[in-house]
Amino acid sequence: MNAQRLMALVVAIIISVPLMFPDGQNVGLVNAILIWSIFAIGFDLVFGVAGMLSFGHAAFFGVGAYTLSLLTMRMGWDFIPALGAAGLVGGALALVFSYFAIRVSGLFFALLTLALSQLIYIMAGTKLRMLTGGVDGIAGVPRPDLFGIDFYNDSNYYFFLLTLFVLALLISGLIRISPLGQALKAIKSNEVRAEQIGFNVQRLQRSVFTISGIYAGVSGGLLASLIFYVGPQMLHWKTSGDVVIMVLLGGMGTLFGPILGVAIFEIMREWLSTQTSHWYGILGLIFIISTIAMPKGIAGMIIQLWNRIMPGSKP
Amino acid sequence: MNTAAENKSVLRCEDIEVSYGAFKAVTNVSYEFKPGLLYGLIGPNGAGKTTLMNALSGRAQLSNGRVFLNEQEITGQPPHARTWAGLGRSFQITQIFPEMTVFENLRLAAQAHRFRLQPFWRPVSKFKDIARDAERVLSEIGLEGFGHVSAGSLSHGDQRALEIGLALLSEPKVLLLDEPLAGVGHDVAEKAVELIRKVSEGRTVLLIEHNMDVVMEISDEIIVMLAGEILASGAAETIKRDPRVRTAYLGEEE
Repeated sequence: MNAQRLMALVVAIIISVPLMFPDGQNVGLVNAILIWSIFAIGFDLVFGVAGMLSFGHAAFFGVGAYTLSLLTMRMGWDFIPALGAAGLVGGALALVFSYFAIRVSGLFFALLTLALSQLIYIMAGTKLRMLTGGVDGIAGVPRPDLFGIDFYNDSNYYFFLLTLFVLALLISGLIRISPLGQALKAIKSNEVRAEQIGFNVQRLQRSVFTISGIYAGVSGGLLASLIFYVGPQMLHWKTSGDVVIMVLLGGMGTLFGPILGVAIFEIMREWLSTQTSHWYGILGLIFIISTIAMPKGIAGMIIQLWNRIMPGSKP
Repeated sequence: MNTAAENKSVLRCEDIEVSYGAFKAVTNVSYEFKPGLLYGLIGPNGAGKTTLMNALSGRAQLSNGRVFLNEQEITGQPPHARTWAGLGRSFQITQIFPEMTVFENLRLAAQAHRFRLQPFWRPVSKFKDIARDAERVLSEIGLEGFGHVSAGSLSHGDQRALEIGLALLSEPKVLLLDEPLAGVGHDVAEKAVELIRKVSEGRTVLLIEHNMDVVMEISDEIIVMLAGEILASGAAETIKRDPRVRTAYLGEEE
């Protein structure tokens, strides 16, 4: 057992709550955790692995949601191909963004991605009103129709989401230890050296940004189907901010950390919003305190504690 | 190798100029580097040695002039493209991946050389040829047994050796070494000079170095820079006798 496996175990326990307590009480929350986790896992490939802080991921998330909704509701597509298209459109938009944003780095990169995503947000609410339903959004987004299973039942939909979540986690895990993932870590560690040993830095950054856009597009489509609705709020910068907070809270650059961050964030959102209407502010305060107390997130804290309890074991 | 090939330049720059605003860091520099020779690049601080190296490796933008590698023009190409074309370099300030192990550092350089598109569908550990390349260079630079050590915790001298190892993995025809002995202790310096000799076998090396004894001893040809221009070039003995060089540079020490 090491810290990594401990985190995997914690994640496994969180996501299997609906299996342990099949009364349906918590399944809605776990479903949301699974979907946001797919988003966060993909976001961390850009943020934690490649070291690029994007504030524009809401655009890929929201565009994925609109793509799935429009294709299923207006074009009559089946859910699965529409979900695939949501991922591809999210990825394609990320690729377009990257051509503009990767020219600059650091804070400028964050600001440029923020500006581009706000552009999409404003367009969805105004110019593209005919397509997007404007500020009202589109209600009645469907869920998959597969093998005669009733996925409108949350407990059944859970298994569909769990399958996609595991797939997303495996792919991300593989990318991290692949030559691509290693090259991205090298760029994060020392861009000058990475370029000098022959890595095409910009192309690698564009690749991971696109992959991350696919993750965001798929998860956006899934969220729309979970809540049967898509609106421009999904494109808003606050959505980008949420995923940044989730990943930072959980521990950037780790495979399981972002999922823990999502779980805490979603549980707090669920619980706090029943207590007060100022829940977002309180969540922000908790986030600030936790980044001071745990600069490497929950994952960092677990690794540190584990090394203290079990000295000599590999992290 | 026939004589015609030997006379051909492996690296050539024509009239290159690098300016930062009104300040011309390198100006009017033309030079032909022949295959297999070791060039020592000397000059006082601020003479433009590192800027020239940056201009050759693609890190500094030229305001004028052209650069050729094996008679192919590489002017305007980014550093990674020049690395693929056969131009490796080390830096004055150590540029490694400090939080990774020595082996991982070398493996990264190996994969950067092997793949134009980095695979994402298989763990890097499954690519045995990359690991073999890294192991080979690990022993070439004398760091066998240090593969699992984090690169940041190596001694300064070993980090300098690792830096050369990273450049070697791209199998460069031309190697640019920017002060590989900087800050290295006397006993370690001997080892480092041996390493430079070894890596210069069969390739062209351009070496910036402040230790005159070392430069004069190991270089086939010396290039002296002053105020962004090449002041003189030639064999060590010729350079030592050159009155302009003595006044401008060596004279200060004698």
